[in-house]
Amino acid sequence: MLKCGMNGSQVKVFGKAIQALSRVSDELWLDPSEKGLALRSMNSSRSAYGCVLFSPVFFQHYQWSTSMKMNDNDRALNLNCKLGMKSILPIFRCLTSLERNVEKCKIFTSSDECKIVIQFFCRHGIKRTHNVCFQESQPLQVIFEKNMCTNTLMIQPRLLAEAIVLFTSSQEEVTLAVTPLNFCLKSSSEDSMDLTNSVYSEMSFGPDEFDFFQIGLDTEITFCFKELKGMLTFSEAIHVPISIHFDFPGKPMALSIDDMLLEANFILATLADDPSRASSPQSLCLSQTQKRSDMIRSNSKADKSGTSQTPEYISRKSAPKRLYPREAATKNSAGENCASGDNIFEVPESIVSDTEEGPGSPYLRKFSCMFFGAVSSDQQEHFNRPLDSLAIASDSDEDVING
Amino acid sequence: MKFRAKIVDAACLNQFTRVSNMIAKLAKTCTLRISPNKLNFILSDKLASGGVSMWCELEQENFFSEFQMEGVSAENNEIYLELTSENLSRALKTTQNARSLKIKLTNKHFPCLTISVELLSVSSSSRIVTHDIPITIIPRRLWKDLREPSVPDSDVSIYLPVLKTMRSVVEKMKNISNHLIIEANLNGDLNLKIETELVCITTHFKDLGNPPLASENTSQNRNPEEMAEVHIDIKKLLQFLAGQQVNPTKAICSPVHIALPS
Repeated sequence: MLKCGMNGSQVKVFGKAIQALSRVSDELWLDPSEKGLALRSMNSSRSAYGCVLFSPVFFQHYQWSTSMKMNDNDRALNLNCKLGMKSILPIFRCLTSLERNVEKCKIFTSSDECKIVIQFFCRHGIKRTHNVCFQESQPLQVIFEKNMCTNTLMIQPRLLAEAIVLFTSSQEEVTLAVTPLNFCLKSSSEDSMDLTNSVYSEMSFGPDEFDFFQIGLDTEITFCFKELKGMLTFSEAIHVPISIHFDFPGKPMALSIDDMLLEANFILATLADDPSRASSPQSLCLSQTQKRSDMIRSNSKADKSGTSQTPEYISRKSAPKRLYPREAATKNSAGENCASGDNIFEVPESIVSDTEEGPGSPYLRKFSCMFFGAVSSDQQEHFNRPLDSLAIASDSDEDVING
Repeated sequence: MKFRAKIVDAACLNQFTRVSNMIAKLAKTCTLRISPNKLNFILSDKLASGGVSMWCELEQENFFSEFQMEGVSAENNEIYLELTSENLSRALKTTQNARSLKIKLTNKHFPCLTISVELLSVSSSSRIVTHDIPITIIPRRLWKDLREPSVPDSDVSIYLPVLKTMRSVVEKMKNISNHLIIEANLNGDLNLKIETELVCITTHFKDLGNPPLASENTSQNRNPEEMAEVHIDIKKLLQFLAGQQVNPTKAICSPVHIALPS
């Protein structure tokens, strides 16, 4: 049972988050927990994932109780609410007028039916109620160890916005090239057929324009432009700098915003560096997930990447496997996953067995092998919610629709 | 073939950007002619369909602090290239706080015009923005089609009123008729007229002033009150007026009455 309330300006931020996630895909998971309310979205090709977690202090009041849904298995602790973007986006459409007119907004779940109720208490005594039906579906989740990336940048959104202006909306992918002395955003030169007509643009910045600039690896990564724009608009709205975490081509990158009240993470697949790559988003994911699953499955196959950083990556990536047995709780970021908790028992076997499977595995299982960053500063806190999702992520394909 | 030029003055850069914006509004592709002293933007829509044909000349000394070019050959020391006008204006959009702008002809897999802008930023390091605009080199045999058009002898020449005013007048008229009649005389009177079955609307501009005429004969024989008139397509005129961003000191309109053989 979810019950939370917001005022006008909080509604605006909430709406902006939904708009940013709408750039990722057409479906939104509302995933409340005692950590706060998480909005998650993943695109159909599984090459982009977005999550915005609003902590309980963001809201005027926030209440999540699981007493109504107690079952014998853990999965019932989730709300399992999947909404279509088409239903929820129009509700948060004119954000500036919402901010002006709405005095209070209440969001709560209906105890019996699969329904989310959003109520706006506006000026002049006007009350607007939206009943949105949802599909019961396990939220997908991605865990990504962004703290373990060799390259981390923190940039003011306005700066990035000035670079974005260079590219036309027809540009699908952009390339980010970094060295310890330079940062360069340029149009991706994938399809040689298009080149004769399109303008190639690039903008380079010096390191002192960033709030934080740490480059451990000279690299060039290519990713989808659309999701970057979505995240950028959101961060401009809340005036918080964006952190970019990445490694080498093929490994996913993270765009994140960390604030006291909320945390947003967009995990994007990057184009892998092998010669057989194609430029369509579909294969972006394919090569990316294949690469990841290859690396996860066996250390030796990582030689494909051909960079000297491979062994480092392998040791990082294989760390997750070691994390599950609880004795390997040495690293900070590992801590949150290994904290004591009853529900962890189920997880290790399923994860390990997932990675052992053949190429026919659905994308979901491969994605579940990535780790998600810390939700709160308290790293040691019991974090069973995402692990529940991980354990049963493979079920989310079967959407259970309740009448 | 070589071309390298640099603009460092902010006002020149601004003006150059406005010229390219104007061209982008007029036509999709344009021809750029580079010669030792000048830069020309040439648009040649087919005149038969009532299109806008434009010849724009920029003295290179007025804009560029550095200018070097080497044409196709010693006898033909010019370069003609064709590009999509929107690409150029979009590339120049990022020049708001630019310290300098460099343009050069390059060959990166295919011929390009590379625009390189150095931007001032709040911190000490400057930002470099580069755009490679794909171009096609126009072969010498087609150069004759792109020569400077000779302005035909006109009956009347008149200074136009403030273009913004003219544009708003013509804008309102376009909903009523497709053709506009422009009448002008040597007394400084200009009329913009539309005629339909139901209504006839005329806007009168007076005391506009006339530039000195090239050919003395016509001016002597002509009654100053007599109007010379032309019929033009409103949409094309609006396209021209909408594109005007360069704030001309004077705009001269010379209606040329073309007599059709009967």
